[in-house]
Amino acid sequence: MEFDWDAEQQGFRAKLRAFIAENLPADWENLAHGPGTSEQSIFSKKFCGELAKAGLLVPHWPKRWGGSDADAWSQFILAEEMWAVGEPRGGQYMNVNWIGPTLMRFGSEEQQQRYIPPMARGETIWCQGFSEPESGSDLASLRTRAEKDGNIYRINGRKIWTSYAGHADTCFLLARTAPGRGGMSILLLPMNTPGITVREIPSLIGRGDIHEVLFEDVEVPVSALFGTEGQAWEIARSVLALERAGIPRFALAGRMLHRAVTELKKAGRFGNGAIGQAARAYAACEAARLYSCQIIDQRKRGLPPGPDGSVARFATVTAERLATEFIVEHLPEALAGGDVMLLSHHQRAIVAGISSGAAEIQLNLIATEFLRLPREPR
Amino acid sequence: MDFTLNADQATLATAIDSLAARFETVPTNYDGFTLFGRDLEQELENGEFFDIALVPELGPLSAALAVERLSRLPYTAEFALSMLFRPHLSGEWPRPIAIVENGRPGRFVATAKTILVIDGENVGITQPSPDEIEPVESIFAYPMGRLKTGVTITPLPASEAAIVRKWIRVALAAEASGLLHTAIAMTVEYLTVRHQFGRPLGTFQALQHRLAECTVLAGGVRWLALRAAWTADDGDAALAALHAQESATRVIYDVHQMHGGIGVTLEYPLHLWTYRLKALISELGGRGGQASAVAQHCFGSASSY
Repeated sequence: MEFDWDAEQQGFRAKLRAFIAENLPADWENLAHGPGTSEQSIFSKKFCGELAKAGLLVPHWPKRWGGSDADAWSQFILAEEMWAVGEPRGGQYMNVNWIGPTLMRFGSEEQQQRYIPPMARGETIWCQGFSEPESGSDLASLRTRAEKDGNIYRINGRKIWTSYAGHADTCFLLARTAPGRGGMSILLLPMNTPGITVREIPSLIGRGDIHEVLFEDVEVPVSALFGTEGQAWEIARSVLALERAGIPRFALAGRMLHRAVTELKKAGRFGNGAIGQAARAYAACEAARLYSCQIIDQRKRGLPPGPDGSVARFATVTAERLATEFIVEHLPEALAGGDVMLLSHHQRAIVAGISSGAAEIQLNLIATEFLRLPREPR
Repeated sequence: MDFTLNADQATLATAIDSLAARFETVPTNYDGFTLFGRDLEQELENGEFFDIALVPELGPLSAALAVERLSRLPYTAEFALSMLFRPHLSGEWPRPIAIVENGRPGRFVATAKTILVIDGENVGITQPSPDEIEPVESIFAYPMGRLKTGVTITPLPASEAAIVRKWIRVALAAEASGLLHTAIAMTVEYLTVRHQFGRPLGTFQALQHRLAECTVLAGGVRWLALRAAWTADDGDAALAALHAQESATRVIYDVHQMHGGIGVTLEYPLHLWTYRLKALISELGGRGGQASAVAQHCFGSASSY
């Protein structure tokens, strides 16, 4: 056991920081309202294109798909550095972290050839069509239907709170092909297919982030089926495994804490009350960071994902919460025209415990899978 | 970054495990609030475990792992300061070691050979004679004692005082981590076997979520303590101690609450862990003291993050 970054890892981080310094525009902080905004989505294609040319977009992917077979630590360091500056990859971080790798594992040859190279070049945005109005944490209850009719699937239904849908080229869509949990399937659906309507939902997160997506008699060839019919649950679990460390929110939270502290010190307002809260929040950020490192360490060793992922995720949610609570109490002017970065961090932080699975579901898993408490009768 | 024990660490862990195995069981009769492990301390002495931080292949991280493991036991003994703090003192100072903070009674003071005396910003050290120390009855699950007034204390220079504070923080966090571990494990067991309303208490989501949150806190304390032992960084030590005291405050309340009446009795040994944690909560100025240290060491230059 040891807690040092080795020379190669330090070098990789330095390289990323240099790249960011060189490629983020001077007005980046004003642009960085959120990964889903039009400005950031458009910028992400330019930025990810440059990342790809520098070999920094998908370093942990296999060489065959444009990566350099780097280990899981590279992905972690990459995610930390990107999220800490406001995620200039926009929604493309999903391609890098899980959509690409999931396609490599479950996709047909045709699907891989069609979708992976544009991802590796940083040219394409995806959205994840999971949640529905009646189906949030209870994902298995989803209603959107995909009915097979000859050589097409006909899709009808509604997805909601869908991030990046406004600019997405393709949807990783979860739909029902038969009743029950075993009747869920995944379709790779081009967003320009007739019958799809995307409506932005004004939200606390920021402009352009979440959407409602309607599907009315949307027809796709059967070749859009990803994996086999009924395989969605298995694939979704594999996706969760790839995403088990989740977004490194503690990286931006920690940086925003330091930024707020600097402001408070300048104003002579970093007194004992503020110190106590800032220190508590920073300890939580660092605890979350070490938990995430533990998950990466397990992944690097090829260990199967376990309930530690839920522990790491909840620690991150707590860290994000304490950081935002500190700022809202001690530097409220940041959220009222004072600091665009602190504002956008605060706006995005509200979904820390909601997107990609409610924090309470993580607590259920910690109780039953990690602590092995008896299950609640259902 | 490597979260798996290397060969030397694993060998040490096995040795500590087999030593600890003999002290896992709570004896049926013991007096009062404290279960003092004289034999445990002797075995650690015999096995030269107090000096593992000085062994180049092991170092302070291995010592912290040992402290964390030993603190899971029902028996208490003075090993945390001896293992993690004593190696950093200049000069030969005999163990056991105790801390007296602002004239208050402290853990292990009545049996200590070396006492650190912290008075506000000043840190001094002394080797008390037996008539300069006396035991104090307390509800804490440590033997508590008092240093009488008028004892000659050698002041430590500021640079050494900083090192002292740092390693006390690491020792505190590592010990708290082990204590939190067992307090939570006992609660898991109790919630699994105790039935009310016709089902195990542990099936109630209200309790599951609270205990899950305690678990997240406790594991965070462990990682922060171990990292601080590895980096020997003042800021890391302050973060670890702060998170330890913060988490202990929350966990003590929750695990007692979940145990209900049985946890209030002295025959049920939960207090052997929780009333040690209570003693740790106030050390080095409590959470306010650790927060000041975090501000000093982590928020000193904001651009360094």
